Amino acid sequence: MNMRRHLALTRAGIMESLQYRLSTAVTLFANLIYLVLVYFLWKAIYDSAGTDVVNGMTFTDTMIYLILATALFNFLEMFVVWDMSRSIQSGKIILDLLKPMKFREYTFWSYSGGHVIQFVLTFIPTFIVVMIVTHGAINMGVNLLYFIVATIFALIVNFNMEMIVATICLYTESTWGINIVKETVVLLLSGASIPLAFFPEAMRKIVDYLPFRAVYDIPLTILLQKDGTDTIKGVLPMYGLQLAWIVILTICGTLFWKHAVRKITVNGG
Amino acid sequence: MSECTTINESKRPRRGLRFYASIYRKILVQDLKSKMSYRADFVISTIGMIMTNLSGFVTFLILFKNFPSINGWDYHHMLFLYGFSLIALTPVQCFFDNNWNLRFQVQSGDFIKYCFRPINVFFYFMSEVFDVKGLGQLAFGIGTLVYAWVNIGIPVTPWVIVKLVLFLLTASLFMIAIMNAAAATCFWIIGSGYVMVIMFRFKDFAKYPSNIFHGVFRILFTFVIPIAFVAYYPSLAILESDNIPVLTWCAPALGLLFFYLSYKFWMLGVKKYDFTGS
Repeated sequence: MNMRRHLALTRAGIMESLQYRLSTAVTLFANLIYLVLVYFLWKAIYDSAGTDVVNGMTFTDTMIYLILATALFNFLEMFVVWDMSRSIQSGKIILDLLKPMKFREYTFWSYSGGHVIQFVLTFIPTFIVVMIVTHGAINMGVNLLYFIVATIFALIVNFNMEMIVATICLYTESTWGINIVKETVVLLLSGASIPLAFFPEAMRKIVDYLPFRAVYDIPLTILLQKDGTDTIKGVLPMYGLQLAWIVILTICGTLFWKHAVRKITVNGG
Repeated sequence: MSECTTINESKRPRRGLRFYASIYRKILVQDLKSKMSYRADFVISTIGMIMTNLSGFVTFLILFKNFPSINGWDYHHMLFLYGFSLIALTPVQCFFDNNWNLRFQVQSGDFIKYCFRPINVFFYFMSEVFDVKGLGQLAFGIGTLVYAWVNIGIPVTPWVIVKLVLFLLTASLFMIAIMNAAAATCFWIIGSGYVMVIMFRFKDFAKYPSNIFHGVFRILFTFVIPIAFVAYYPSLAILESDNIPVLTWCAPALGLLFFYLSYKFWMLGVKKYDFTGS
């Protein structure tokens, strides 16, 4: 494996994303307004509840969880599904398939640059604002390191899910529909719209074993040091779960893609 | 590109509502025909839309399992607001969905075709797409609203029904205005799709009582990005019929004003497009 080839793709991605500085600025600004909305909503909810802690989550925990889930969402967002359907329509996919690199690998690395930029320009500023607003409620210790590792795993899980969904689209020729189903399911079951801690017991048991949790809930739980993740002993099972899903999804995704790629029909050219 | 302006603004004879209705019907039939040729896509998109609504509903249920009320609003009142917002969001989904394509058309230059027709550009552009998926949302909204209505025990009188229809229409104007304005930004900023995405995300907060906001933000979410009018203020006309706030009474006029302003902004974009494109 030649790392230089991969990093060249990352660099190209970084340069490409820097072309859309305005978009990044607006995203950041929107995140801040979103932060305000989430703040007011949950403040009202917690004020009405009468207790400070609900299901082991304080108001501050919930705030941090939801805001950073949104920031992670912006950071992890990939348009694999859209890009793939467009490049099939235009025929560009042929060129990508001919590249001297596996298609999945190529796709992953060409998105990596965008991730780097999004992380630096939207995630980190949002993180800092959250730190200020909550008066340093996030513990600044080794949990940050655990969090970063978990986020990288989350990125890989997310990529695999995106690729599988994009591959499904090759068969259905319906991009919007499949994409909205994916987005809805992922956002709900990963804890991005409401923290998983609030889910009813029965539902929680199912959700805990689904891959979606590995994307948002696990990194954020580790960051907030909930569910016994304040020690490495608690963190390791979380990593285990993420890694297990990475292996499963990578194998399924690769096989599925291999099967699908023979099916691609490009009109014209 | 001066023809566009001339045809559309000076020489155009005044056309009545009937003329526009018949044109709308003709374009609509074409749109539906072309959609039916992608049947699988249609079915999957409909499922997707239902999933979105279901997931919103599940989030809502989970929230209320943990918290009995929000700012004095109990479960059924919140459901009422939720159903109300879903119905109010239907027109923007059904009739103004083409806004999502605006930026692609403007960027590729295809938008010019709308300028060459002797009818209102805004009307022609919007009439091209009717989003059938929005009807699923409508059904979902009506179901929720009726359920909440029965449980709260609001009496059904002709006056209440008139108010309901009037204020639902009012509420829908605000969301249409927001999306028009958001879409029209693409005339000035290339690739401004994210503005629409963000505005569309803000609408998720329409289903909560807006009295949770304080200070500057209450003003911001009432008069600048008017999500407070998408459900909260209009629905008070039904829920608090003895004590209707002034802003609720202002809502219809404000809705028309917002819609008019967004329309003007949109058309300003078209005019700007005339001057740069060729």
